[in-house]
Amino acid sequence: MSERLRNILTVALLLVLATVLIALVATNPTAADRVESIGERIKCPVCQGESIANSPSQMARDMMALVEERVDDGAGDDEIIDELLFSYSGAVLLDPPARGPTLVLWIAPVAALVLGAGVIFWWRGHPGGGPGTDDVPVRSRARRLAPLLVLGGAFAVIVVVAGFFLQEREGPASGVANLAGQDLTEVSNETMEAVIAANVDHPQVDGMRLALAERYYETGDFRSAFPHYLAVAESPNAADPEAVTALIRLGWMAWEGNGEAGTALDLLDEALAIDSGSDTARYLKAQVLWCGAGDAAGAAELLQAVLGDPELADDSRELIQSDLDAIRSGDSCR
Amino acid sequence: MNRGIRWVGYGIALAAVAFAVVLASRFGSDPGLVDSPLIGRSAPQFDLAPLEGGDPVSLADLDGNIVLVNFFASWCLQCRNEHDALTSTADAFADQGVTLVQISYQESPPNSISYLETAGRSEHAYYLADPGSRTAIGYGVFGIPETFFIDEQGIIVGKIIGESDAFTLGATIDAIKRGETPGQSVTGDTQQRPDQ
Repeated sequence: MSERLRNILTVALLLVLATVLIALVATNPTAADRVESIGERIKCPVCQGESIANSPSQMARDMMALVEERVDDGAGDDEIIDELLFSYSGAVLLDPPARGPTLVLWIAPVAALVLGAGVIFWWRGHPGGGPGTDDVPVRSRARRLAPLLVLGGAFAVIVVVAGFFLQEREGPASGVANLAGQDLTEVSNETMEAVIAANVDHPQVDGMRLALAERYYETGDFRSAFPHYLAVAESPNAADPEAVTALIRLGWMAWEGNGEAGTALDLLDEALAIDSGSDTARYLKAQVLWCGAGDAAGAAELLQAVLGDPELADDSRELIQSDLDAIRSGDSCR
Repeated sequence: MNRGIRWVGYGIALAAVAFAVVLASRFGSDPGLVDSPLIGRSAPQFDLAPLEGGDPVSLADLDGNIVLVNFFASWCLQCRNEHDALTSTADAFADQGVTLVQISYQESPPNSISYLETAGRSEHAYYLADPGSRTAIGYGVFGIPETFFIDEQGIIVGKIIGESDAFTLGATIDAIKRGETPGQSVTGDTQQRPDQ
């Protein structure tokens, strides 16, 4: 073997060894390389477009530490990424996955490139077919406008569709039920009690208190209704109709439940001080005056005033007229 | 044919402009406003020590309860705003099988403890440390406050991103008790640690 041949073989051998070595290094990344590589693919969730490998934020450092731990435990790259996707969804992938709805993001640029190249090649193959050589006969205005309308429509459709896919899931309580705007008939008494207890100073709590108290009242559970009516009556945030309703109910419970005519009249007077035209307050006060205070004349005067309300319902008018007739006849209260 | 190709070219250009318009409209928006993939799935387990140390509390210990998992920190303004609502809700619903777990997010335990001493605690809630943000990562937290609702079977059925109030918390608990899945809701902004 000549010296020249030996030298050539030596160089060739060294080249082969170097190639093998480089291939080994390239195909067997160290654990640190893997951590870095995975980190480059994951978007830092608290940053704008930075990978967790490049972000100095605490969250990114914590996520890199997690990746490192999983790599040390022997987990595969996809396994580690899937673990993060489980919690964060594809929102933390810097490159969207080439599957599902995001597949179009990968295909679209290639398709546009191919289509563009096709257009250019076609154009070159038809030198007489430039935009300025349009030899189509004159068309009607409507026909000229048609393509523009089609393109305008397409533009709108694209905006709407893209907007749908990229929309922010934002808005007041879009998913979770918002009790403030909810139909309270769907809410259990137990929950209403708990929410009220958690919101004693909330300005909107009076409406809920009143709804709950009315529920108790209608079932005859005056004991449960009382504290809520009282709270609404004393609340500085209660709207006038709420306060009037609460005072009327308290007044009637004081009379009906405890036979306390004086207390009942005081409460009904408070309601009338807020709304002097309240037919319910006037009617109930008349009942207490007639039956509890022996003031039939005062009762008759109030009932007469109620009958003067042109909007009074027919059945109520009939009942009140009947009471008024009984008072005028000197009957005892019923 | 020539005209057809031309219109295709215009169409592509127009589509690109439309897409750019949509993307531009989202510039600066909160990247954390994505649907949580955890809704409807088993809640990630945790086993975390209280802020003051001591025996760890695991989610498995609370099996059969409706659990509210809230991530908070003293540096988070929205967390401060919602703190009273969380505390009073924990107290009000304690006898109805509802448990509040507040997990300190990227803050040293002494700072969280100091904050809670001022803000107040519920005796029915747990206040836990999360070293290395492992639980926050497991729950896919983007910013705080975030509150997850876990039903009696250990499934995440609701999530509030942003500040909660007791009305919303109570309504969500009530919906869960009725067997509903309230889902995710964005009530306001979330916050990142100030040094990020």
